[in-house]
Amino acid sequence: MTVFGATGITAKYGQVTVLDQVDLPILNDNEVLGLLGPNASGKSTLMRCLSGEKSTTGHITIDGRTRADMGHDGWHHRLASMPQSPPNPSALLPTELMWSTARALDLDVSDRELADQIEGIFARLGLSEFALSPLHTLSGGKRQLVGLALALMRDPDVLLLDEPTSALDLHWRMVVLDLVRERLSDRGGVVVAALHDLDLAARYCDQIVLLHGGKIIASGGPQHVLTPANLARVYRVETRVTLDCDGRPLVQVIRPLRDGEAA
Amino acid sequence: MSVGETSLYQRFGTIQKRRVLTVTGLAIGLVAMLALDLWAGPAGLGFGDIVTGLFWPDQLDLRPRIILWDVRLPDALIALAVGAALGLAGIETQTILDNPLASPFTLGVSSAAVLGASLAIVVVPVVPLVGETAVLPVMAMVFALGSGALILMIVRWANGARETVVLFGIALVFLCNALTAGLQYLASAEAIAQIVFWTIGNLTRAGWIEVGLVSACFVCVLPFSLRHVWVMTLLRGGEAHARSMGINVGRLRMWVILRVSVLAAFAVCFVGAIGFIGLVGPHIARLLLGEDHRMLVPGSALCGALILSCASFLSKALIPGVIIPVGILTAVVGVPVFLGLLSGRRHRA
Repeated sequence: MTVFGATGITAKYGQVTVLDQVDLPILNDNEVLGLLGPNASGKSTLMRCLSGEKSTTGHITIDGRTRADMGHDGWHHRLASMPQSPPNPSALLPTELMWSTARALDLDVSDRELADQIEGIFARLGLSEFALSPLHTLSGGKRQLVGLALALMRDPDVLLLDEPTSALDLHWRMVVLDLVRERLSDRGGVVVAALHDLDLAARYCDQIVLLHGGKIIASGGPQHVLTPANLARVYRVETRVTLDCDGRPLVQVIRPLRDGEAA
Repeated sequence: MSVGETSLYQRFGTIQKRRVLTVTGLAIGLVAMLALDLWAGPAGLGFGDIVTGLFWPDQLDLRPRIILWDVRLPDALIALAVGAALGLAGIETQTILDNPLASPFTLGVSSAAVLGASLAIVVVPVVPLVGETAVLPVMAMVFALGSGALILMIVRWANGARETVVLFGIALVFLCNALTAGLQYLASAEAIAQIVFWTIGNLTRAGWIEVGLVSACFVCVLPFSLRHVWVMTLLRGGEAHARSMGINVGRLRMWVILRVSVLAAFAVCFVGAIGFIGLVGPHIARLLLGEDHRMLVPGSALCGALILSCASFLSKALIPGVIIPVGILTAVVGVPVFLGLLSGRRHRA
């Protein structure tokens, strides 16, 4: 059982406040939280605060314990994040990246176990045939999958994904998010994913937080958050929202709103 | 070999074995190059004399023994030590700054050493009771370490931001070059000639003490580099991913730049600003060995040593009776090898 909480998250770059007293809903085991919002709404900064990479005045806990309680290694043992940018297109092999990460983090596995573990993760992400191909020969989408494989390396209880599907085609977007959900069913844990695609968020997230200008505009289940009024306020677009046969919202964007035009 | 037939463990192991063989090949090549370098020179010593002199020095006449032990061995060994130090410093700089054009020279260490040496050449002769021979490397070292300290302060101030470090390093290069030019403007023609000669880089001024100091520095730094091979390999995947794994990249950058500055300072202060090796040695190693720093760290040091040893050999062998300053030949030796490897990789791709 994993319970993840984040309250009062405030973050600044210099004197500029980019997140202002953000409270995320409590996430219980098997739940996926989607962070939505336009560019520069604070999604990536919030992800960096949650992972502990950027300092914040807020209170972030896993099972009621903060990073200070658990220590640096303890925290990163339970939480892993996948950054927005895919791994660099260097001559590094995906296997080397995974291998060196495991060894840099002092994971207690033998070489053979580690190879099997890497092989298993690559197989699930369709990367088997690219395991020993230099990263610079891989497409952006494949490198993004390598980035996800890296985040899965430690088998974390809390998985933070910053726009994990931005470079992927339709097929792989669904494969990745299906895998994330399957993983939760298999072993538990929670996922926080910053997403741009509203329909994917509605389909895969249990809860959604809509961010704008570093503040939460709406928070709750997809059908409560993804409303024409909220989307007009945050994205400045006119939308039509219908429900699919499973009761999930489907968002159809009609047109952008002009300056000064009311939603 | 198809993907399904063998496990990843076996296939990755095969790649690693091939790389170990390549590193072994480089080490054997280096020993052969060292032998050639010891053999080359105007005194006409044969291979037999070299072997006898090395293992049974008492059986060699006094003159060839002195030539071997006091001239050729220090020159040949300083080539290995300086080449290895610059190769190691180069690979670490390129990785930590994620910049293929980076080298210890990009950080301004070498330009600062030239400035220090120039100051010694211009100022010391007018100060009585100070010997230029000892002061020149000391001044070069002090300035090189000083530039390293400045870079470290910038790393700390910029919180490890690599673009700031590279830009500051380049600015430092320009500043040191300008100050050196200013000194040359004021200096006598003889002093200018000395500065130019020092700047080109020359192995023949080194003795056993210099060999010992540069080797000791390399041996002291190497374990720290080897300790960081995993995290440096991970860093080749990108700083964002290393940070997301909980790696403190800023602190790592501080440590790496500290040791790179010390290595480069020791490497250049006795032999002059021998360029190119810290840049191309790592690239040649990367083309041969890939990105795994377990192989790349020793490989880059070996490539650096091999290039400088080869340049040292050619500096004596190209024009019989004349020793060309080795700094002129490093690029002449390294560029064809580098281009050959690059074109080989292009054909394979």
